Amino acid sequence: MNIVLIGMNHKTAPLEVREKLAFSCGDDVDPLKEIMRGPQIMEALYLSTCNRVEVLASTLEMSGALESLKSFILAQGNLGRGEMEKCLYVHCGGDAVRHLFRVASSLDSMVMGEPQILGQVKEAYRQCVEGNTSGVIMNKLLHHAFRTAKRVRTETAIAQNAVSVSFAAVELAKKILGHLQGRSILLIGAGEMSELAARHLIQHGAERIIVANRTYARAVRLAEEFHGVPVEFEQLAETLKEVDIVISSTGAAGYIVSKEMIQAALHRRKNRLLFLIDIAVPRDIDPAAGEVDNAYLYNIDNLQEVVDENIRGRLREAERAEQIIEEEVVKFTDWLNTLEVVPTIVSLRDKAEGIMKGELEKTLSGMRHLGDEERKNIEILASSIVNKILHDPITGLKEESQNGSAIPFVAVLRRLFRLDPE
Amino acid sequence: MEAILFKAALLGYLVATLGYTASLMVKRVVIARATVWLLLAAFAIHGLSLALRCLSRGLPPAVHPYETLSFFAWAMTGTYLAFQLKTKTQVLGAFVSPLAFLLMVVASSRLGVDVPVPDILKGTLVPVHVALSVTGEALLAIACGAGILYLAQDSQIRRRKMTPMSRYLPSLDDLDRVNHISLLTGFALLTAGLLVGSVWASTVWGRPWPWDPKLLWTLAAWFFYAVLIHQRLAIGWKGRKIALLSIAAFAVLLFAFVGVSSFFKTVHRFQ
Repeated sequence: MNIVLIGMNHKTAPLEVREKLAFSCGDDVDPLKEIMRGPQIMEALYLSTCNRVEVLASTLEMSGALESLKSFILAQGNLGRGEMEKCLYVHCGGDAVRHLFRVASSLDSMVMGEPQILGQVKEAYRQCVEGNTSGVIMNKLLHHAFRTAKRVRTETAIAQNAVSVSFAAVELAKKILGHLQGRSILLIGAGEMSELAARHLIQHGAERIIVANRTYARAVRLAEEFHGVPVEFEQLAETLKEVDIVISSTGAAGYIVSKEMIQAALHRRKNRLLFLIDIAVPRDIDPAAGEVDNAYLYNIDNLQEVVDENIRGRLREAERAEQIIEEEVVKFTDWLNTLEVVPTIVSLRDKAEGIMKGELEKTLSGMRHLGDEERKNIEILASSIVNKILHDPITGLKEESQNGSAIPFVAVLRRLFRLDPE
Repeated sequence: MEAILFKAALLGYLVATLGYTASLMVKRVVIARATVWLLLAAFAIHGLSLALRCLSRGLPPAVHPYETLSFFAWAMTGTYLAFQLKTKTQVLGAFVSPLAFLLMVVASSRLGVDVPVPDILKGTLVPVHVALSVTGEALLAIACGAGILYLAQDSQIRRRKMTPMSRYLPSLDDLDRVNHISLLTGFALLTAGLLVGSVWASTVWGRPWPWDPKLLWTLAAWFFYAVLIHQRLAIGWKGRKIALLSIAAFAVLLFAFVGVSSFFKTVHRFQ
């Protein structure tokens, strides 16, 4: 029994190729059904996200299965074979297992450590169970992948620390202000990044949003969007004394918030801590304002540095994650190997003979009056009972193995006879 | 029994100190969070030991200098634990538990030695005076610890890099709040303790506040704190300045509490 994986991701295929593939597998085609048409395919899982399209399958006949998976992708992708093959990667056996574990643990993601991918793999598995395309191996493999992802998440810091500027702002705000519940934000100017940062802060509990803009009408519009309050640009200095976080991103050429404004505001707010985020280029807030006690100023470069350092941190953690994954791959392939018929027959025999010998010894040691001849006869009797009982299951197993359908039987047999150490 | 409990508490403080040190080394708050429970256990056992001592001697465990140290450790740990209910400042334990442990080590040198209580110290005012002042000082020690962590976190954030250290330390707001609450309550208790002490002094020495090195230093520390609190409440000083000042003020207080008697002759010495 073998496991194969074929697919493409953001590293190997440009977006146009990925979207063609993902799109055709959207509504009218049931990808799992299509994949299962391949006669060599025994189980299959289809995973499609914005960064990857992958098919995972178990098969008895590797090359045939690969061919049928490839032709499925080619048919759906609607692209030339040469172009397509450049984008594809193929993994077999342990490599396929490793790849799945890395994907589920978010090591293969565009933003390493992002949490969504695990949910997407779980969803793909749910569809695979509902479509009845999962069996013993797929079930075990996917559950093992979920467990591995969980280990990576809890044992390494790969998913910790913000890797986007707006989350870095939230993280910093929490280190300065403690919690964000009920905190208020002053948004000066508008811009995608500053609005995103404001949204993240709101998600983490910030409540009151005040919007200032050179054009009052725009302030009103943006304030409506955030359920906030617009203020006139001239009231900026006044407003500084009320808020906890300031996000500034105007297109102004000079500084619009001076050190003196911050000093005065802090004095009037009795030095309640103030977190200043200057996303604008050129800068809006005089850098000297960051020297004022109880005011903390971060500009876009400072935030980017935090993010860069966090990304480097995640890369360091990724090395530890790879080790965990390696351990889990070994565990899984060990289990997979036990599913071969021959080792199972051997361990079944060993177990039965072990029991027989033990029982014979117990019985015969209490019957010392028996002669050698009689002892021999009893031993023959016992061993032929064992052989007769085992004969049918073992032949059955061999037959199933020739049909290529032994795996579920092996799995059940190993479980019922407790052939695997718990 | 009381001695066994005392030793168990001492051991508890030691293990907690190791736990906090480990958490500081690897910069993981999780370890500190687990260690809070250890410290709680040590605190409970220590409290039991103090209660037994109180029962067996019929005197609150706040008369002998060495008892006082143990009581200091207990009050400070209790205050720290109480803060854990409301703030995320587990890391403060890395300051509290080694201090508690050291105090206990010094206190343990007289464990089991029953020094007779001088007649002058018998009466209800003395233990009330000691209990109030020591609890006040314990709170001011916490304010000092929070101040130290505040300065550390402030400099981390001002360096504009999120270091593992900065992630590990509590937030500025939480530290400032701990500092604020312990300053106010600590100062109030200390003031009450000093008032009770001076009432006692006027009964035995005939004067409420003899001119004596220890009492002068204490008075200096008290004024330092009074100014500090005035700045905080009336002028609105916050954060770094207050953190610095509460460390400095505590240094003066600490000298008055333990240092003075080794350098000066003082009437506030009873053996």
